Amino acid sequence: MIPFKFSIAKNPSEALGLIHPHAAFLAGGTNILDLMKEHVAQPTEIIDLGRLPLNTIKPTATGISLGALAKNTETANHQLIRKDYPMLSKAILAGASAQIRNMASNGGNLLQRTRCSYFYEINMPCNKRVPGSGCAAMKGFNRMHAIFGWSDQCVAVYPSDMAIALSALNANVTVMQQNGGERSIPFIDFHLLPKDHPEKDNSLKHGELITSIELPKNNFAGHSAYIKVRDRHSYAFALVSVAAGFELQGSTIKTAHIAMGGVAHKPWRALKAEAFLKDKAATLANFTKAANLEMSAAKPLAHNKFKIEMGKQTLIHAFEVALKG
Amino acid sequence: MENTNKIIGKGIDRIDGIMKITGKATYATDYPAKNMAYAVLFKSTIASGKIVEMDTADAEKSPGVIQVITHKNAPKLNVKGGLRGGALLQGPEITFHGQHIGMVVAETFEQATAASHLIQVKYQQDKTEKIDFDELAKKPEMPKGKELADLVRGAGKSALSQAEIKIEEAYETPIEHHHPMEPHATVAVWEGENLILYNGSQIINGAQTAAAATLNLRPEQVRIVSPYIGGGFGSKGGQWANVVLAAVAAKMVNRPVKLVLTRQQMFNSVGLRQRNIQKISLGATKDGILTTLAHETISHTAVDSEYIEPCGDCSKIMYEVPNSLISYRVVPMNLILPTYTRGPGKSTGSFALECAMDELAHQLKMDPIALRIKNEPKKDPSNGKPWSSRTTVKCLEEGAKAFGWEKRKAIPGTHFSGENLIGYGVACGTYPARQRDSSANIKLTLKAGQVYAIIEIAASDLGTGTNTILAQTAADGLGIPLSLITMKIGDSDLPPAAGSVGSVGASSFANAVNDACTKITDELLAKSNKQFFVRPTANDLMISEKIAAFETQSSSKAPAEAEQYSAHSFNANFAEVSINKLTGMVKVTRFLAVTGAGKILNPKTARSQIIGGNIWGIGMALTEESVIDPRYGNFAIRSFADYHVPANLDVGQLDAMFINEVDMIPNKMGVKGIGEVGIVGVAAAIANAVFNATGKRIRSLPITPDKLLPS
Repeated sequence: MIPFKFSIAKNPSEALGLIHPHAAFLAGGTNILDLMKEHVAQPTEIIDLGRLPLNTIKPTATGISLGALAKNTETANHQLIRKDYPMLSKAILAGASAQIRNMASNGGNLLQRTRCSYFYEINMPCNKRVPGSGCAAMKGFNRMHAIFGWSDQCVAVYPSDMAIALSALNANVTVMQQNGGERSIPFIDFHLLPKDHPEKDNSLKHGELITSIELPKNNFAGHSAYIKVRDRHSYAFALVSVAAGFELQGSTIKTAHIAMGGVAHKPWRALKAEAFLKDKAATLANFTKAANLEMSAAKPLAHNKFKIEMGKQTLIHAFEVALKG
Repeated sequence: MENTNKIIGKGIDRIDGIMKITGKATYATDYPAKNMAYAVLFKSTIASGKIVEMDTADAEKSPGVIQVITHKNAPKLNVKGGLRGGALLQGPEITFHGQHIGMVVAETFEQATAASHLIQVKYQQDKTEKIDFDELAKKPEMPKGKELADLVRGAGKSALSQAEIKIEEAYETPIEHHHPMEPHATVAVWEGENLILYNGSQIINGAQTAAAATLNLRPEQVRIVSPYIGGGFGSKGGQWANVVLAAVAAKMVNRPVKLVLTRQQMFNSVGLRQRNIQKISLGATKDGILTTLAHETISHTAVDSEYIEPCGDCSKIMYEVPNSLISYRVVPMNLILPTYTRGPGKSTGSFALECAMDELAHQLKMDPIALRIKNEPKKDPSNGKPWSSRTTVKCLEEGAKAFGWEKRKAIPGTHFSGENLIGYGVACGTYPARQRDSSANIKLTLKAGQVYAIIEIAASDLGTGTNTILAQTAADGLGIPLSLITMKIGDSDLPPAAGSVGSVGASSFANAVNDACTKITDELLAKSNKQFFVRPTANDLMISEKIAAFETQSSSKAPAEAEQYSAHSFNANFAEVSINKLTGMVKVTRFLAVTGAGKILNPKTARSQIIGGNIWGIGMALTEESVIDPRYGNFAIRSFADYHVPANLDVGQLDAMFINEVDMIPNKMGVKGIGEVGIVGVAAAIANAVFNATGKRIRSLPITPDKLLPS
């Protein structure tokens, strides 16, 4: 860790007034502090957001608004979330540990950086940490890495569980800008594929602050699932995870909402499987076809070929659990 | 107050439990010193070669920095002083990625850490570095150690060709790390020419002699203080460079120095469990009598020093078999020296042997318990000595009954519970029972009609309960209530003792204390001219003779006749697993370890030690693996986010049972030791349960979900 200045903002506009290219916002601190201790992030100033009034979870005309600073634990256990968005509750509780969820904020969760071990190892090349230095994971130990959407610059995966559910739920991220204006970013556009700029995880611009995450109403709370496959039963990042929700009419799937974690640089919206399942009967045969179709586009690396079969099985498992409700 | 009830054998609470949970127990870093400076190590980023240039100027100018120490200014040390793993800053040569190449000493830990990132190093890399195990293992070398020479009995492996039934399989285990909760840490304080090292040490006197020899000091110039240890699992047995480098830094800056390894540094600073490929060949008759057993191990070791865990040890003694081969081959690599790791050789070796036995039972369509009992040896097959006692059959039979083994389905993949597959597995284990030379001092004082005892012994307590079992031993041996006994351990100024290693701690320390109790009672009795019908206790004598203070010291060693017997602890492990048939995630829902380990001094601390071993065994079976990047030689797994020790959710119901046995041959207390055996056979029992659940035989640990996907 290098020496840094610590500033406290009392409201969003004050926070945005303080921010500069070498500063970082501090919400729950469950990732930025690790990154600073490891010398991966070296901000010269930390701006504490802890006093910003952005920690409420409240119903709106169109659904629910999650304050950016509401804690993960509080969100997962909120009765409206458990009732109307159980997939989100399950996804949050599948992530990290109880202690980390108690500290982690909703906005911060979206901004977690990859857990690629080469990203953390500052003596190794990493285009995400030092653009242009190369990707050590591409031909290194890449068991945990991407099978969809990677580029020759970066094969990292995005680690959040919460965000996988938010993607399936068609959430919108509300951000405040330095001029006081606001914009709303559809979740599917919030995180980016690595392409030529893996250093950019998301579409936030400098001088923007997440203020809330808006969840639209849905008709699939009763038929949803979040399934996470990992190397141990708690406190491990996903090998593969699936968030799935079905709007059913009888035994016909009207629409399917499916996103995958552990497979790409962003929450991977399984659009092929969604399109296939639309207006189809909710049968094992169709689930298997949808899973095979989605995974057919996968491009595995040396150590993660298993994610294709695991992805299929986890999709099918999630579909079955969602169907049962 | 008369103490008539024996307290040995009772599951009393740890006498230091409250101190530990209230933070009053002092671990290495808890020792305050005035004017403390903080040393932070920095490490090589190549695996083999040498340092050509090192620029420390920016680091030296960094705020708070007192001195930067590298091979250029470090004092000359004795590299053969008995520390493990080299890395003593004696020259520019690099033999592994992560070798210590220097340290920054600063006013604070944070300042030292920040400055350590400003060091610029230029290397000349050796392109012949040995970092690709898979390649190197194709051409392994003969080990240097004489005890690792090929051991052939009967016709050796050649008898396999005659066997009616054969199993020939290779079993692989990865690098594992000890990762005790308390990382290695030292506070070094010089007092003139004498040095105090506050440093977690499993062998107090061993740490003292190694540190002294390395620093070119006499042993009596170095004092080790280590009353509490936050786990070690072998990594704090032999000591590593960090302990002496703390002393070097303290000398050079002329201040007390604290040096704490970070969790990342723990991966390549203090040894590890080496990677092994074990080939097991079993030959048997159609009715399940073993005719051949070959156990051939290939292990990695360091390039400049050799340590091999003896994976073939269990195979030497577990089964009656006329023809056998135990062999070792090594793969020297540019990695930190491997070292003793819980159940060294036996935990990994039993994984191979006991899975192969399960494979043989399956092929024979025999119950795996019956197969084992059928091949039970009457005496030690490796040396022909009689067993002091052997409890394998009892462990299997009592365990099977308690576990409900009869509910196991003999045909794999046929036991369902909802979407999960259920499997049962069994595996045996063993570890030698030994007593090592130890001495103890007892001080008795009489105050207001009560006798107080202070027990002094340079024993160590890894967190396993040494303090408690020794206080229990003294309470019984002296007739003094536990509450009036003060334990003093973990200090090299105390009478010398063995270490908490190789399951010798409890037997060595308890016998030393017990013998000292006998001696002090004898000496007090000799001072009395009264006649006693029943032998009085030291407590009685102090009171009746009104002796204000009395002290004695004695030394103990293993009984000579113990040599004529083969003495071991034995166990049988029973695992129940539940496996999601789609995702392949395995949960150990129930685990039972049945252990025959002679006298159990405290069933409560013993249970903790056994289930602790079981939990690491669950990690070994299912989650723990360290990976080397074969291009760089670094650990690609580098934190607890990736190095998966079992979490609460991975551990189901654990039960530990002890066989009630009296075996007074190994030592006078009848104590055999439980520290190591708790992990032996655990991974095999789980792997066998996974086979029973799924029909998939996974011979490469850990059994992660990807290995169990539907095929």
